[in-house]
Amino acid sequence: MRHVLPTVACAVVAGSLLVAREAPPPLPNVTGSLKMVVIGDNGTGSREQSEVAEQMASFRQQFRYDLVLMVGDNFYGAQRPSDLAQKFARPYKPLLDAGVIFQAALGNHDDESSTINYPPLNMHGRRYYTFSRPGIRFLVLDTNVLDEPQLQWADAVLQQATEPWRIAVFHHPLYGNARRHGANVDLRLLLEPLLLKHRVQVVFSGHDHVYERLKPQKGIHYFVTGSGGQLRKGGLEASDTTAAGFDQDQTFLAAEIAADDLHFQVISRTGRTVDGGVIPRVSERIGS
Amino acid sequence: MHATKSPHHARLTPRPAAAHAHPPMHAAPVPRAHAAHPARGAKMPRLWHFAVEYLLLLPIGAAIALIWVNTAPESYFRVTGALRFAVNDVAMALFFGLVAKEIVEATIPGGVLHPWRRAALPFAASVGMTMVPLVLFAVLVPMFDEPRVLQGWPAVFASDVAFGYFAARVVFGRQAAVPFVVLLGVCANCLGLLALAVTGAAASLYPAVAVALMALALTLAGMLRQARIRSLWPYLAGSGGLSWCALYFGGLAPAFALLPVLPFVPHGRRDPGFFVDAPSAAPDPLSRFERFSRHPAQIALGLFGLVAAGVPLKALDWGTLSLPLAVLAGKPLGLVAGVGIARAFGLHLPSGIGWRELTVIGLIASVGFTVALFFASESIGPGPALSAIRMGALMSVAGVFAAIGAAALLRTGRFARAV
Repeated sequence: MRHVLPTVACAVVAGSLLVAREAPPPLPNVTGSLKMVVIGDNGTGSREQSEVAEQMASFRQQFRYDLVLMVGDNFYGAQRPSDLAQKFARPYKPLLDAGVIFQAALGNHDDESSTINYPPLNMHGRRYYTFSRPGIRFLVLDTNVLDEPQLQWADAVLQQATEPWRIAVFHHPLYGNARRHGANVDLRLLLEPLLLKHRVQVVFSGHDHVYERLKPQKGIHYFVTGSGGQLRKGGLEASDTTAAGFDQDQTFLAAEIAADDLHFQVISRTGRTVDGGVIPRVSERIGS
Repeated sequence: MHATKSPHHARLTPRPAAAHAHPPMHAAPVPRAHAAHPARGAKMPRLWHFAVEYLLLLPIGAAIALIWVNTAPESYFRVTGALRFAVNDVAMALFFGLVAKEIVEATIPGGVLHPWRRAALPFAASVGMTMVPLVLFAVLVPMFDEPRVLQGWPAVFASDVAFGYFAARVVFGRQAAVPFVVLLGVCANCLGLLALAVTGAAASLYPAVAVALMALALTLAGMLRQARIRSLWPYLAGSGGLSWCALYFGGLAPAFALLPVLPFVPHGRRDPGFFVDAPSAAPDPLSRFERFSRHPAQIALGLFGLVAAGVPLKALDWGTLSLPLAVLAGKPLGLVAGVGIARAFGLHLPSGIGWRELTVIGLIASVGFTVALFFASESIGPGPALSAIRMGALMSVAGVFAAIGAAALLRTGRFARAV
């Protein structure tokens, strides 16, 4: 935990629940920083999803983010146009109306064709893609099928990236301690060398319906944010790689990148802050 | 379809040294008696011999993979990742070479596919047997809400003829249904190869290079044949090598490199039988190929089981069930429907096979195992979707038990005699 400043002063393990004892400080909310929210496994069309979406809209009153990263499973079940409206356009209408940009990754429940061609998700017909904000390069991957062309493409994109911050977004976690799925070791062996080689600092994933922050693995900060609509209550089995976690309610993660720091705050469906902290950007990875 | 050849072809019991069992289509050598190769058997450690003769290396490899990946996944993926290319794309060429060899021999006089009209009914039936489960698969995948699993659709075509052969022997003894099962499996796998070609062709990076190299491979093979070259190696190393490069650059599975080449290799005048070896001194290059590749192909299969069957059980979701359910329900239905249509066009079933036998045969043919693992690996890139299809391929082995249960219930095969 060398890179996460101990704003989460003391974490306690209580069964599968690992939360901050003290409320983390609010995000700095400074002018000119990148403000964003990360959600995952949200596309249920359920009341819980709507309540998280309401909480996100309410949170935006004080924290004016303009970007939402979606780590996959944007839609569960049927994915006809009316379903897409029910599971996306309706719950996030206040954010869409406010001009917030959504950028989605593909999950295992997403129908590839309907998801990548759904305009509000800004995938523009691509399974994997990249986009940037000033000083930040985002890499959005399709880990359902991590084929060689995709890996070569990701390598080339990161090779050319000049931004100091590099953030990867994909569905299946490379590290994780959830009871249901946990870490995807086969994907890790394919992807981790690439992330290390190009000094990616932060990875956002989902798939497991809990929130978990891992202790930095080889210098990379991994977040599992798979409870944006779905929830597997008690689904987290904290281990010594778990830095913090929450499996009692749906959550979303808010983040702010200001200069060399990435601040984050995790908020539950009821508005409770369950985790938070700061990740400083390091130019050279420890041990590399 | 002449099913009357079957009985003596496939004996599992020891036989005189002069008569050796043949490998089943596409698969590794069929169990042959220890006594069949006394000299070799004496030199060979007994356990190894038993494992080779009874096709145990593949399930042993698969079992090791499952245990290993679920206890020490990182080391499993590291080791098998390093082996994957050598096993899947190189060593498995011998395995599929044996498939090609069996098909070539089956089309010469005395073979079960000679003349071509004999193959008409199983081929027509195999179309039904693959299309119905394919439709079911397409319906089930969205029901299980795992749409990306659909990309592994060529695995639905797969039928493990080695497993099918054993199951058919257990259920039907030496009845006509046994070669029918094998023929169906071969035809279904041919359709699967076509499906792979369709999906692979779309991903081809160098189609012109691939076509040119394949043309060169076939021309060279034709010239060797024309020149009556009796040595096996120019065919394997020359034409086979060019064919391998053609498939590699064409984005298709290089393991199929020997399939287009082996028909050019000189062979005996008559097929000794579907499951019968040529005499051990048979001088023709095709028989020499079989003798050369028998044990290496078994080792390749064992390694393939190790590389392909490692599926982390924790990672699986409901979509895994799509493949086994589609083939278990769809293949018997599709087979009965396919045979019904074929009969309407005037084709005839071998005697002794009715709808009850077809139902059981369909269940036997639903076992995809080796071939399904291979088709899955070739049709979908690494990741959880591939894991789901691979596990489905392993679960399709349940078809053997379903077939035995169905045979008992329908009182057919061995169970008919017991009543």
